[in-house]
Amino acid sequence: MELSQVNWEVIIPIVAPIILIQLILLAIAIIDLVRIEKVNGPKWVWILVILFVNIVGPILYFVIGRRND
Amino acid sequence: MSVVHVKNLKKNYQKHEVIKGIDFELMDKKCIALLGANGAGKTTTLQMLSGLMKPTNGEILFSGSREGDDFRHLIGYLPQHPVFYDWMTGREFLEYAGKLSGLSKKDSKKRTQELLELVGIEEAKNRRIGKYSGGMKQRLGIAQAIIHRPKLVILDEPVSALDPFGRREVLELMGRLKKETAILFSTHILNDAEEVCDEILFLHNGRLVESGTMEQLRDKHQQAKIDLEFKEDAARYADLFTALVKVQSHAIKRNKISFFVEDIELAKIGFLKVIAERNLPLVKFEISRTSLEEVFMKVVEK
Amino acid sequence: MKQWMTLLNKELLEMTRNFKWIWVPIVFILIAVMEPITAYYMPQIIDSLGDLPDGAVIELPVPSAEEVLVASLSQYNTLGLLVIILSSMGIIAGERKSGVAGLILVKPVSYTAFVTAKWAGAMLLLWISYFIGYFVSWYYVGILFDTIPFIDFIQSFFIYGLWLSFVLTITVFFNSFLKSPGAVGFLSFAAVIVLIVISGTFSKWFEWSPAQLLSYASTFIMSGPISSDVWAAIILSVSGIIMLLGGSIAIFRRKELA
Repeated sequence: MELSQVNWEVIIPIVAPIILIQLILLAIAIIDLVRIEKVNGPKWVWILVILFVNIVGPILYFVIGRRND
Repeated sequence: MSVVHVKNLKKNYQKHEVIKGIDFELMDKKCIALLGANGAGKTTTLQMLSGLMKPTNGEILFSGSREGDDFRHLIGYLPQHPVFYDWMTGREFLEYAGKLSGLSKKDSKKRTQELLELVGIEEAKNRRIGKYSGGMKQRLGIAQAIIHRPKLVILDEPVSALDPFGRREVLELMGRLKKETAILFSTHILNDAEEVCDEILFLHNGRLVESGTMEQLRDKHQQAKIDLEFKEDAARYADLFTALVKVQSHAIKRNKISFFVEDIELAKIGFLKVIAERNLPLVKFEISRTSLEEVFMKVVEK
Repeated sequence: MKQWMTLLNKELLEMTRNFKWIWVPIVFILIAVMEPITAYYMPQIIDSLGDLPDGAVIELPVPSAEEVLVASLSQYNTLGLLVIILSSMGIIAGERKSGVAGLILVKPVSYTAFVTAKWAGAMLLLWISYFIGYFVSWYYVGILFDTIPFIDFIQSFFIYGLWLSFVLTITVFFNSFLKSPGAVGFLSFAAVIVLIVISGTFSKWFEWSPAQLLSYASTFIMSGPISSDVWAAIILSVSGIIMLLGGSIAIFRRKELA
């Protein structure tokens, strides 16, 4: 099946909300990272992790990167 | 009126005795300094008084409460390196501390505003504590310690980490505070203790080696001292003076002699007379007292 | 009670400020919803990979709606547990490590209130996140596969939620005497894995184990015969939670905070 044969009209309403909340997660992680003073490890590493490690990246940031105090 | 009575307080870490049995009593509306070198056991003593650490032995009795009672509402405590919730604002933290201490929401708000002004961080009250400087955190720490008007405020090295300005401000603040409550604070700097304190507890190697009011300590340990300096070796003149008045001891150091005397007035007149009559080659005549600093050096060496 | 509310409000505010109220629910949604979506698109995904030799036919049994929802819950039993432990491993240990616990507990704060308020805050976050995530998954199963009766969904929700709560309480328990959040996380995870493995391997003897709640929740979804051991497992979980919490308070009270 070619990509063009995929029935996008059916897929989009189903997948779009999921992609949207993923983006929210990513955006919040980035906003928090920018605003926070100190993180465990260098900030630029965390930017890369959040942006390029799908779903798990932002979670890792919130659990490990953020200082819990 | 007595606020707290400490009897035979001991603390062991593993087998090492850190506090070796100390006794003291703190009085209301007095400021007491717990003085001692680093490692003398000051922080340990304060942590036991605050209830954060349990004594190995001995008792801490607050007036009006019995042995084993929860006395935490009677005390306010500021640790040496206070840590707050960085995500809270100064105002939020104080209100939180107030409510936890039993104040109503309204009282807590009111008291918070009062204290923010008292300690001088009013303009930073809506900033997150994470952005506070060391001095601001110290002041916030004092504010949270006194928010519930405790009978005893325990401050662990409140000025050691501050610059001269911050130090001055905090010491003045403590001077104002002691009108309302008893203050016990630790320091390794005698000057700070002398400045605001009525009494000193001197801790050395886990023991109270000396305690009392400033005057008592001075009377007990300080000696009047006359220093003479000659043009030449001073040893040969020493007997002239020791024969004259009651001299407790003297020390000769090349051209200089120091006499420790009991009656400074008598010694002064006698000494000057001898010097004038014999026309001694005197260069310097000085009357002084041993400083408290010297007293403590002496106590430590004992 | 007033003090307890103050402590709880602080927990809720903290979870707002550190975005836990956002990221934990989102993660719970993503974990659960991946299952129906991948199950639904699996045939297309395999097709689009393309390179199959002509004539090769892959027979994929289409999973039933019930099977997909059960698979969602199973995802919670790995990733979900991990998120619960990671997000709560520092709730007390972190404050002791930083030293702020010392500042709070020299105030006349009840140790019971301190521990239970923290537990309650974490429980609220857990149940709300879990409900949203599981509900979204149920909704997706409904539109992509078949509608599962809401009563089955809600029964399985409560039964499995009890196991999640048990895991959370284990984490709180380790929090009561360890100073390092990392150690809390590690030990909690180890304890949970041991519990799951033992209960799974010797399931005959461990019918009442809280770790079995997943399989009981599944039977509610599959409308299978409901074992009489469900009640044993529920009662044991609830009393286990109460005992762990009581133990946490007792241990925490004796700890020196300095």
